[in-house]
Amino acid sequence: MADYREAPLATRPKTLDPAEYFNLSLDQRRAEEERAGLRAQLKRQYQMQLNNPHRKELIEDPALTRWVYARTNPYNHFRATKKTSLLGGLFGVVPLFVLYYVLKTDREEKRPCIYS
Amino acid sequence: MLKILIPTLMLFPTIWLSPAKWLWTTSIAQSLIIALASLSWLKWSSETGWSSSNLYLATDPLSTPLLVLTCWLLPLMILASQNHISPEPLNRQRTYISLLVSLQTFLILAFGATEIIMFYIMFEATLLPTLIIITRWGNQTERLNAGTYFLFYTLAGSLPLLVALLLLQNDNGTLSMFTLQYTQPLHLLTWGDKLWWAACLLAFLVKMPLYGVHLWLPKAHVEAPIAGSMILAAVLLKLGGYGMMRMMVMLDPLTKELAYPFIILALWGIIMTGSICLRQTDLKSLIAYSSVGHMGLVAGGILIQTPWGFTGAIILMIAHGLASSALFCLANTSYERTHSRTMLLARGMQMVLPLMTTWWFMASLANLALPPLPNLMGELMIITSMFNWSYWTLLLTGIGTLITASYSLYLFLMTQRGPLPSHIIALEPTHTREHLLITLHLIPIILLILKPELIWGWCF
Repeated sequence: MADYREAPLATRPKTLDPAEYFNLSLDQRRAEEERAGLRAQLKRQYQMQLNNPHRKELIEDPALTRWVYARTNPYNHFRATKKTSLLGGLFGVVPLFVLYYVLKTDREEKRPCIYS
Repeated sequence: MLKILIPTLMLFPTIWLSPAKWLWTTSIAQSLIIALASLSWLKWSSETGWSSSNLYLATDPLSTPLLVLTCWLLPLMILASQNHISPEPLNRQRTYISLLVSLQTFLILAFGATEIIMFYIMFEATLLPTLIIITRWGNQTERLNAGTYFLFYTLAGSLPLLVALLLLQNDNGTLSMFTLQYTQPLHLLTWGDKLWWAACLLAFLVKMPLYGVHLWLPKAHVEAPIAGSMILAAVLLKLGGYGMMRMMVMLDPLTKELAYPFIILALWGIIMTGSICLRQTDLKSLIAYSSVGHMGLVAGGILIQTPWGFTGAIILMIAHGLASSALFCLANTSYERTHSRTMLLARGMQMVLPLMTTWWFMASLANLALPPLPNLMGELMIITSMFNWSYWTLLLTGIGTLITASYSLYLFLMTQRGPLPSHIIALEPTHTREHLLITLHLIPIILLILKPELIWGWCF
């Protein structure tokens, strides 16, 4: 079933209709048709905007807007869990101390050379 | 000095008395003439290091490149704002250009100041026009948040500086830079003295910005209109670097021990902000974080107090100012067409605007520090002087350079290559104004390859 694809001019045989093939109940079939109707409406909305000859701006995609907003505002929903504390400490706190130790000892070793 | 300052002040009558048709032409023309006249500062004739001085203002090889950059940027800012301000009523347009000119005046007075208190007052004064530009003419509601962060971060950093300067005046009797460079190094031993040291530098570190206190910068850069972004990226960040270099003269013996945390923050900041750049979806935000990274390198170069470090810092400041401003202008051309800063939405621009791709390419190459551009020269001098300071810094600066190259490439590929989104059907062709704007940014960078002595500063 997975690799059956419809030919452009032929119709799908009745036994390969997904509702029949998977033995869906009547409620499920009705829900499928409703969802197909909603998808068709969204596609129609997009096509109307896409082919509108007077359109000058971008077509707004609400999913993209939500995604961009989520990407740019993480701090509002930040929660201090074990994982986030570990990551924050590992990348934000520990390197500073490690670097201080490394650079300070390196400079202390060099101090006699510099001041001689 | 006055021959530049008075024409700049006279821009105010030009703006308010020009007829509407000639407003933009006259203001751009006058500011271009001022910019060309400011090139006369590049002739350093005096032996003491300071030239064209009067009682309160002077230029020296450190401040001259920054002054020329500031004067050069004003016509570019007005040119860049011409499109998005044009639907507004005339008096509001005049107000906007007056804000830019007042910012210019404060910046000239700041970079030319010889009394440190005057520098401080002008440093604070530049905050006001920038705040007004960001909060009034920004495009999203987040601009209020951005203005608040910008104002309060910088103010909180600079209030200790005022106290520190008054203490210095009390001890020395004067705050003139002419004489302060010859005072005895202060023997600073108590905790109060260490706090004084930190207070002197904190304002400039916040302004640069240093990695830990950099939070205001992405917000301010993203929410500001194009002229605000340009002046912020190109000049206002460099006020911090310039202030640090001036203050370093007096802070000397203590800096050897106390500078470590700040050098470490600066170096680690290069890597962290570079990595954040690779994950950004917002175009201006990426360019803003890259500014933090480059300025971290500058801060590191200044804090180790070697001649090459200072020289590299000045070169990188000038080169980064021009390159970053060019990138913001390019981002603005994309924004004006699509009204969105999301990189995903404005991909594949090479197909539509090929000449603009050339400018994007050159600006990205400048950002990633391609030789022989001065960006690389500055970075190389800082990296080598830091290597001399301590071998281990090479790990950080090396990885930082790698990440810088990768996000500059990412920026170029995301905006120019790839498939054009199928729903973008009507983009305006590129205006001559936009080409002019970007070439006026890129030509000085290219010319500086041939004569880097202009921006070497006084340590060479």
